[in-house]
Amino acid sequence: MRREKHIRWLIAPALVLLAAGTLYPVIYSGYLSLLQWNWGSEAKFVGLRNFVRILSGSGFPKALFNTFYFAVFAVVIETFLGLGLALAINRIRIGAGLIRTLMILPLMVSGIAVSLIWKVMLDPTLGIVNYLLSLVGIPGPAWLGTVPTAMPSIIMIDTWWQTAFTFIILSSALKSLPAEPFEAARLEGATPFQTFRHVTLPMLKPVLITVIIFRTIDTLKVFDIIFGTTGGGPLRATESVQTLAYQTAFKSYRFGESAAIAVVFSFIILALCIIYLMIDTDDGEKA
Amino acid sequence: MSRSASSRNTLWPYAVALVAVAISLFPIYWILTIALKNRVDAFAMPPVWLFSPVWENFGKAWSSTGFSGAFFNSLIVCAIGNVLALAAGIPAAYYLNKKRVPGRRTILIWLLISYMLPEFLFIVPMYVLFQSVGLYDTVIGLALIYQVFTLPFTIWLLRAFFADIPEALAEAARLEGASTLRIVWTIYVPIAAPGIAATVILNSIKMWNELTIALALTFEKAQTVTLAVAGFRGYASIDWGAMSAASIIIILPMALFAILAQRRIVQGLSLGAVK
Repeated sequence: MRREKHIRWLIAPALVLLAAGTLYPVIYSGYLSLLQWNWGSEAKFVGLRNFVRILSGSGFPKALFNTFYFAVFAVVIETFLGLGLALAINRIRIGAGLIRTLMILPLMVSGIAVSLIWKVMLDPTLGIVNYLLSLVGIPGPAWLGTVPTAMPSIIMIDTWWQTAFTFIILSSALKSLPAEPFEAARLEGATPFQTFRHVTLPMLKPVLITVIIFRTIDTLKVFDIIFGTTGGGPLRATESVQTLAYQTAFKSYRFGESAAIAVVFSFIILALCIIYLMIDTDDGEKA
Repeated sequence: MSRSASSRNTLWPYAVALVAVAISLFPIYWILTIALKNRVDAFAMPPVWLFSPVWENFGKAWSSTGFSGAFFNSLIVCAIGNVLALAAGIPAAYYLNKKRVPGRRTILIWLLISYMLPEFLFIVPMYVLFQSVGLYDTVIGLALIYQVFTLPFTIWLLRAFFADIPEALAEAARLEGASTLRIVWTIYVPIAAPGIAATVILNSIKMWNELTIALALTFEKAQTVTLAVAGFRGYASIDWGAMSAASIIIILPMALFAILAQRRIVQGLSLGAVK
């Protein structure tokens, strides 16, 4: 191949935007996290005091716990549901395109609209959900309004919203699998479950890992559907790391402390990225 | 296998699909009916299933303070954001599609990480910077900061589409003396046009629906449609009709996208993961 002159310039605009959009904020956040700085007042260098403060206080550990509680349940449910739906709908010959189009719709809905839709539907007295439950004799809970039910409600809302993502990707992956191994399994008289366990699942594994990692990182960053429904309540039962960072920076104007929260949390997400890159044997090819 | 067993075997996926589609659509349908009900019907318990639609809620939502302005702000942010992402992303994707270029692996990992870092790591520094350079509460500022996620996504996706284009095409053009930029523009861009369309659609959806960053970096002038809809949140118990109408207004453009460009969306979403 002939040498291409000046090819480096092609990457330059992207690098400038990336540096301004990520490198600068990362460095600046690191610096901010060492300051005691309430927006509008004098900044004071306090070393690691912000970190000590957030880690020893109750707010951040609670938000971290809530965030992982939400992420683990949402990802597990969405992955199983998405996989089940993909396997079922993969058997459909006629109308599969229409079914996919309709099932993709929740994914197009803005998180804030998702919040409002479910606030209306889950209203304890006037909501349709509790009305439908009452028809079959189940007294509906107050959903977003009580401590034990609030987070499960948010998990349910996210499941409605995002299962289409796992479904669509796993569905495409299933369609792209080669036919021969399935043919061989059929000739050897494998049961549907054996075929799934020993043929489908191993071939689907790389995509499944990618889907799980993407959903995990996305759910850990949860903000919209909590901001839009409970705002972190009741009694901080649904406070996530990102809603806490928002409160700290833009309600209490403690910028240094908010930066410290973001820095600690970023390290956690970074660790997950590194695990992903290590699992991904493709040598960064997928990155 | 008996006939009934075999028909059962082909029917159950349809039953599953029917339930899944019903659950996916019902909340959107329900909020649409509330938007079309008058105040009495909207609060009726048991709910009213048959009613004569009224349109006043849509008028109320659209004419509420700042709503229409926010709607157009979001359109402008999407337009500028897409232009920026493609202008920087297309050449970058071409560059990174080459196997032996300096910094390739580092840049790819950087892209992945910047896509994954939590918004609040960027938001506070950007708030401080934007306040001091006059980008706070501007659509340009918002379109710029959105590059943190649109640019990695664009590069990532386009690189996968570019990888399918045979090297020989570019090689032939180069022998005829075409510059690299010309090759990108006259060979890669037209062939990858469906991929570029998929990228623009997915980026638009993401920017149109974005709330977190817009919440922190705009105040009034550059308020986006998600913030305008969020404004109805506090009045949930007072005016369900207008709130539901506002939700439908924000859903509608993206729902149309989904229906018209389902194939592109599926292709774009899957590419990153399946390829």
